[in-house]
Amino acid sequence: MSSHARVPSAAHAGLASPAQVTFSPAQLAEVRRLQGLYPDPRAALLPVLHMAQDTFGYVSLEVEEYVAGLFALSPAHVHEVVTFYTLYFQTPKGRHVVAVCHNLSCHLAGARAIIDHLEARLGVTVGETTDDGRVTLQSVECLCACEHAPMMQVDERYEFDLTPEKVDRILERLR
Amino acid sequence: MPKLTINGREVEVPAGTNLIEAARALGVEVPHYCYHPGLSIAGQCRLCMVDIEKTPRPTIACNTLAADGMVVLTETERVKETRRSIMEFHLINHPLDCPVCDQAGECWLQIYYMRHGLYDPRMTDEKVHKPKAVPLGPHVILDAERCILCSRCVRFCDEVTGTGELGIFHRGDQSEIGLFPGQELANKYSANVVDICPVGALTERDFRFAVRVWYLDVTKSVCPGCARGCNVEVHVNRRRPHHNEGRRVARLKPRFNADVNKWWICDAGRYGFKAVDDKTRLREPFRREAGTVTDASWDEAIAAVAGALERYAPDEVGVLASPRMANEDLFALRRVLERRGIRRVAFRVPPAVDGDQDEILIRADKNPNARGAELLGLDGDAAALLAAARARQVKCLWIFDHDLLASAWPEALVLGALGAVETLVWVGANANATSERAHWVLPAAAWVEREGTYTNFEGRVQRLRQAVEPLGQALPEWEILGRVLEALGAGARPPRAERWFRELAAATPAFAGLSYQAIGDGGQMVRA
Ligand code: SF4
Ligand code: SF4
Ligand code: FES
Repeated sequence: MSSHARVPSAAHAGLASPAQVTFSPAQLAEVRRLQGLYPDPRAALLPVLHMAQDTFGYVSLEVEEYVAGLFALSPAHVHEVVTFYTLYFQTPKGRHVVAVCHNLSCHLAGARAIIDHLEARLGVTVGETTDDGRVTLQSVECLCACEHAPMMQVDERYEFDLTPEKVDRILERLR
Repeated sequence: MPKLTINGREVEVPAGTNLIEAARALGVEVPHYCYHPGLSIAGQCRLCMVDIEKTPRPTIACNTLAADGMVVLTETERVKETRRSIMEFHLINHPLDCPVCDQAGECWLQIYYMRHGLYDPRMTDEKVHKPKAVPLGPHVILDAERCILCSRCVRFCDEVTGTGELGIFHRGDQSEIGLFPGQELANKYSANVVDICPVGALTERDFRFAVRVWYLDVTKSVCPGCARGCNVEVHVNRRRPHHNEGRRVARLKPRFNADVNKWWICDAGRYGFKAVDDKTRLREPFRREAGTVTDASWDEAIAAVAGALERYAPDEVGVLASPRMANEDLFALRRVLERRGIRRVAFRVPPAVDGDQDEILIRADKNPNARGAELLGLDGDAAALLAAARARQVKCLWIFDHDLLASAWPEALVLGALGAVETLVWVGANANATSERAHWVLPAAAWVEREGTYTNFEGRVQRLRQAVEPLGQALPEWEILGRVLEALGAGARPPRAERWFRELAAATPAFAGLSYQAIGDGGQMVRA
């Protein structure tokens, strides 16, 4: 369970306000295309939620209701999906997401020290976002790269064989 | 139709029957939580494991259809061990708070757990804690720690009401039943989720901590809340009257009837029994003269009513029967009318607000027996009756149950009519603004205090049965009317509702051939 103690305001994270929770006509066409790909259009819920997260910054309750409307589902069922997957953010996230694996292999290879180091450098604990909205720190389950433990995912990219020094260099790049 | 063997006994079941139902047909119970015959199959709890010959592992019975030649065993050592493990798993994070849980005594977690003799938990870690005592809506309260995530409540809201309020949020041992934030569980059938929740996670706010379930007595009856006539059980607390402040009817539960209400009832019907123990209940007959109320005995009251019927010419008497009366009452009333040649009779009083209706159960007509009153020939022009009273053509007005001042009729017209008649007789269970103006008030037994039958809107005749004694001196209307008939010289009255029904069936073509025995628990249709 993540703590929501230190979330940046929507304004400085450059996020849409609830009033703007609407897809563009092009996005709506994409929703319909995705829905047409599956025998049960509900299967398109995952990609559409990703689209929504990319567009609106995070999946707020308003976004869940909006998406539910696109699928003729009850909002409760969209909420089920959003709370099930850790890759959907229910509160504003940082511009970058740093997700450290803490599962068995990484744990044995020193993931705890990497997490401690990240917490110290960023001034947040796991689940929080830095005050400037730059980075959200997460610890996650196995990312399927045990051969390079300890490892983490930074946005779309895997970073392998971590040491505190390597972590510092990676953080340097995040603006 | 597939023929299979279950625990060494052969059974033939309709194609499409699952193994839980096939076993049930033989009287064999396969323990289960998530399966419910009125909902889709979820296969979620895994408790319903059985052994099937030539199948390597135990298989869930809820999602396996009976097939020809199948050999099923429900009580092998392997099945029992599997069940035990599954229940141990369900109980890992359970708070074990049965001593303060309303469900105790009717909890399937408790029942199956004890039956499988798993008494000492092996869990040594701190349990996962979840919200407790969360009101979900007006009627239902949630204890998420007791939930075994069977999803019955979720499927009910998706599949039966189509309202979709509930979901299972988060995952793994954090999974938890809940509402979409900001919503409440307020659909018209919400409390059914309490009935189908196999454990104490969902309980009724109204019944909560009222009385332990093992002190309740159960009577089969019919809901009087609308023309559907849902089959119910009346749960009565006679053995611990000091619990729940002496409220006799503790709760209503739906009773399965495939042709009427399936497994469900609406919330309005479920909580409609409050009038039974309400302070408006009338206990003794009384008369009101120039605003002064005097107690009367039944003999005096009956003599007064019979006297009035004889004193006035038949055309000077008007009768407003009620579609809340049972068939037996209405038939006894018809006998009285026939005896005196009274023709001014009606039963339809327009309600102040139109009743709601839906595609599930709820009917706009909030009376249980309008169809019966029609079939028994009491359907006259009520507005004309009221007008005749106002015009002083009707001098004696006899009203059953209705509160005309709470109807759609303008108050001035009603007051004009009630004020114009010389003798106003009122019969009913609960006092109202109309009974307050009557010269004679005769207390009737409430629906849970008596026997009788209602005919629902489809023409199904169903029995209500006595669950508690009438309050005070209240009597069923058929008995009141029987005494009036006797006073009018009609000879001995039928002593019981069943005998009244026998006479009714013999005298009314629509009911020909029906009897209490034939009606049974599920009801019987009248002749079209
Ligand atoms: S609350 Fe009850 S019915 Fe709903 S999922 Fe939990 S155990 Fe099942
Ligand atoms: S639908 Fe009508 S008969 Fe059924 S429970 Fe509700 S009020 Fe009673
Ligand atoms: S009843 Fe079969 S899995 Fe739950």
